[in-house]
Amino acid sequence: MNYLKPSTVEEATELLGSSQGMILAGGTDACVYMAEGFCDPETLIDIGAIDSLRGIETQPSDDGDVLWIGACTTISEIEASEALPRALRQGAHAIGSPQIRNLGTIGGNICNASPCGDTLAPLLSLEARFVLRSATGTRTVESADFFTGPKQTVLQAGELLECIDLPIDSCEWISAFRMIGNRNGQAISQVNAAVSTKLEGGVIQAMRAAVGSVAPVPLRLPQLEGALVGKTLQSVQWADLKAPIMAEIRPIDDVRSTATYRQELAVTLIFDALMDCARQDESARKGADT
Amino acid sequence: MNLHFICNGQAVQIDVEPNARAIDVLRDVLGLTGTKEGCGRGECGACTVLLDGKPVNSCMVLAGKLEGRTVLTIEGVAGADGSLHPIQEAFLDVGAVQCGFCTPGMVLSTKALLDENDSPTIDEIEDALSGNLCRCTGYGKIVDGVLEASERLAQGTQEHGAKP
Repeated sequence: MNYLKPSTVEEATELLGSSQGMILAGGTDACVYMAEGFCDPETLIDIGAIDSLRGIETQPSDDGDVLWIGACTTISEIEASEALPRALRQGAHAIGSPQIRNLGTIGGNICNASPCGDTLAPLLSLEARFVLRSATGTRTVESADFFTGPKQTVLQAGELLECIDLPIDSCEWISAFRMIGNRNGQAISQVNAAVSTKLEGGVIQAMRAAVGSVAPVPLRLPQLEGALVGKTLQSVQWADLKAPIMAEIRPIDDVRSTATYRQELAVTLIFDALMDCARQDESARKGADT
Repeated sequence: MNLHFICNGQAVQIDVEPNARAIDVLRDVLGLTGTKEGCGRGECGACTVLLDGKPVNSCMVLAGKLEGRTVLTIEGVAGADGSLHPIQEAFLDVGAVQCGFCTPGMVLSTKALLDENDSPTIDEIEDALSGNLCRCTGYGKIVDGVLEASERLAQGTQEHGAKP
């Protein structure tokens, strides 16, 4: 096996273009695939040591300021960053174990494109944009358009994920993430869900909701979003959520759960995440009063 | 590839396949067999080592990723004279060890926790050890061991006046 370790993104995209090798970031998925014999790449391109692919910072862009996240920023760094929205930090914390989070990267979680990836629903709910780069240029894809099926994305041969842009206004919304697995530590989500809400006096001005593991790709829930705008968070009932969520999700029975259980879970996790937002809003307003 | 890194405080230079796993480099090339392989899939944490001070599964790190970095294995936790680290002593004293297979990983995850947080809560301890599976003890004694170690380390720093 050839193991290449470029030190710049330019070098990485050139190597990717010429070798058609497999990108290695943190390695927490790739090492399992190789150990299980699911893949045996001729060439590995390890982008984990490229400094410019790491970090979290505010940057100007054509559509206003964005919070820039380098693709090789580790899951631990995402979890620990106070600059990032709560839903994304909670999603990062839900992944694997401390050991896995210290190795794994947000770019890896995205490009691995598992329907149950725990950063994916948060990224969709924040309307994140992904910047894809090849030797010939870059393009930007909306997170909701990036995933095309289980482990399938719009990434083309020769392209890698360079960074994630979070629109700065969506980082100011109140957000939350919930997942359920078989246990707390090291569990893979049976369903996960993220919401982000723009509130005024407790009334939902705008919101975005996304769920994972209930369809071949992580899904936004526009029907639910439309149904809740104009309501107060406190008035939202579990039963109100059921119909608009059921209309959009397509869960299946598989090794981790059943379709029926996933339907119930999707509603409950969205409800829990909304109640988390309500508590955050309440304590923020209490803080503002005193 | 020619690989350079710091292992247990010593500079190491070896020639290995870059796609070899770190755990195999540690055990088979350097003879550091205190690092155990359980699942080989990043689930059990028996192979935990500290990479630049942070716990990682050494079964999921390719050798090429070690270049220029610092590794601490269980062999580097005890003193050079063989004296046990306070974490190891606390584990022994409270009975946090049964078969011992998970213990090197448990000790290293504990060390990473206590290096950053000298008085963790039980929730914080359980979170820090969530990537280390033990099939003997039921975890209660291990959590006791971490609490005991944090108290002893706090006492030690008070006695030595290293920290306010």
